[in-house]
Amino acid sequence: MSEHAVAGTAERTGSPHKRAWHLAERPLVWLAPLTLLLLITYVYPAIDVIRYSFTDATLLNPEYAYTTDSYRALIRSPDLPGILWVTFVFVVASVVLQLVLGLLVAMVLNRGVKRRLPGVSVVRIIILSAWIVPGVAAGIVWQLMFNEASYGFLNAILRGVGVSPVAWLSDPDLALWSAVIANVWRGTAFSMLLLYAGLVVIPSSLYEAASVDGATALKQFWYITLPQLRPILLINTVLISIFTLNTFDLILPLTGGGPGRATEVLALYTYNTVFRNFDLSNGAVLAVILLLISIVFTLIYVRLLPREL
Amino acid sequence: MTTIGRTRLADIGTYLAYGVICFFFAGPLLWLISLSIRTSAEIYVSNINLWPEHPTLENYASALNNPLFPIYLWNGLKLAVGGAFGAMLFAAPAAYALSRFRLRHQQLTMIGLLAVQMISPLVIMVPLYRYMDRVGLTDSHVGAMMIYIAVAAPLFTWMLKGFLDGIPQSLEEAAMIDGCTRFGAFMRVVLPLSLPGLTSAFVLNAILGWSQFIIPFILISRPGLLPIAVGIFNFQGTYSQTSTQILAAASVISIVPAVVVFLVLQRFIVGALMGGAVKG
Repeated sequence: MSEHAVAGTAERTGSPHKRAWHLAERPLVWLAPLTLLLLITYVYPAIDVIRYSFTDATLLNPEYAYTTDSYRALIRSPDLPGILWVTFVFVVASVVLQLVLGLLVAMVLNRGVKRRLPGVSVVRIIILSAWIVPGVAAGIVWQLMFNEASYGFLNAILRGVGVSPVAWLSDPDLALWSAVIANVWRGTAFSMLLLYAGLVVIPSSLYEAASVDGATALKQFWYITLPQLRPILLINTVLISIFTLNTFDLILPLTGGGPGRATEVLALYTYNTVFRNFDLSNGAVLAVILLLISIVFTLIYVRLLPREL
Repeated sequence: MTTIGRTRLADIGTYLAYGVICFFFAGPLLWLISLSIRTSAEIYVSNINLWPEHPTLENYASALNNPLFPIYLWNGLKLAVGGAFGAMLFAAPAAYALSRFRLRHQQLTMIGLLAVQMISPLVIMVPLYRYMDRVGLTDSHVGAMMIYIAVAAPLFTWMLKGFLDGIPQSLEEAAMIDGCTRFGAFMRVVLPLSLPGLTSAFVLNAILGWSQFIIPFILISRPGLLPIAVGIFNFQGTYSQTSTQILAAASVISIVPAVVVFLVLQRFIVGALMGGAVKG
């Protein structure tokens, strides 16, 4: 973080508290507590994770030696391709659905607000509520929705219309998609908020000019809305990708990663490796992968941010 | 078709969309509430009536009568509020510096904060668990709260910086010309003026702390110290299928505080959050 700085309003007045005053003119003094906190809790542990990944450490034994065995073991691991595939499908499907659904919701909300339709704020509040539900509770909620016992909502509806029940969570081909639906339910509100913020700043004169020229609503969407939203769509994509990649608390109560390993995403696999199998070094390698993905996404995000921070 | 007719039709379409949206987003929560007020007999009856024939609040009593459950709630509150408050102590001066001084590496500092926010807490928990274990801070609220604070501080700083940027500097400058130190101006002028921003950031971070799962799940194993998020997860594991209605009641209890607090203050919180996310 920044040590050298130009004090903005320094040397303006002769204060009696000269020493304290000078100290307070140094930005580093103001930034020091946070910097120190993050160095201890983020930077140092992140470096330490990388170091552990080059050892044979376990959670049970304090002794360890340096080796690259963990990386070699990971490359040869029969589990890894499956885990990465599950993670990829979970993230891409969640992100695409959250983008599409978030945009649709933002657009109908925007229309309602512009037309001053009654009830718009109620709709908004309902979506935000789903977002604010704690991840574990959301996992439990959807566990109850998908449940194959009679209290499972979706199967109750299916039974009602005479369709045989579906094994939402115990069919390995379906469980991942069920997890995606639950994640989309929780994540769409954030995506919607960002896109809504982008929609309201599109000048209405663009649409007016287009209607005068006889452009259909579809054309207006394609040639005005989407290009205007492009920066926010990109930023949104990066943010919800990261959030989804780090999702852990939703999946654990929903499927626990199962059936088999059908819904074991990278974050859950990392947790299981370190804290269930006590395999610190292999877990550290997985954590390094998570860390690298975060860094890549952050770099993309920074490139996309339009203005001075 | 006339323009008015077309607008009417579009309005009807909009409301249809609202109907679908509300069904998807509110449906699962309504189903949870519906399950939570059923008797154990009605749980297994395959009716999808939201309102059961014999609604009961007994499940809520059962959940709260579990000796651990109120403790989970209290621990959750303690960690959430303590974490948000601690984060504020670190974030407020940092946000002030980022907003009021012209730092040479301003951009880099903000990006650093952002990068930290992007790192999954799971990554840092791997080594942090080891350190905490060594100094005896696992199974302790002090250890857990330290990490709650660290996880919340970057977002808190980011939100507060955005808010401070919107407060004109003239007032604090006037105070400093009148003999106030910079720190005095910060305490007596800037902080009171930024109360709405502080509140928004505080509440959002407290809600996120209430939902925080991975930190206590890894650090805390003594049941008496667990916060609600881990508590209901354990509930799910220990309750048999025949007491799903109690699990549902427990989940409702865990959701309500977060949602109510958020909804009361949502306009401020969303504004402050989006200010940070979109405008930077």
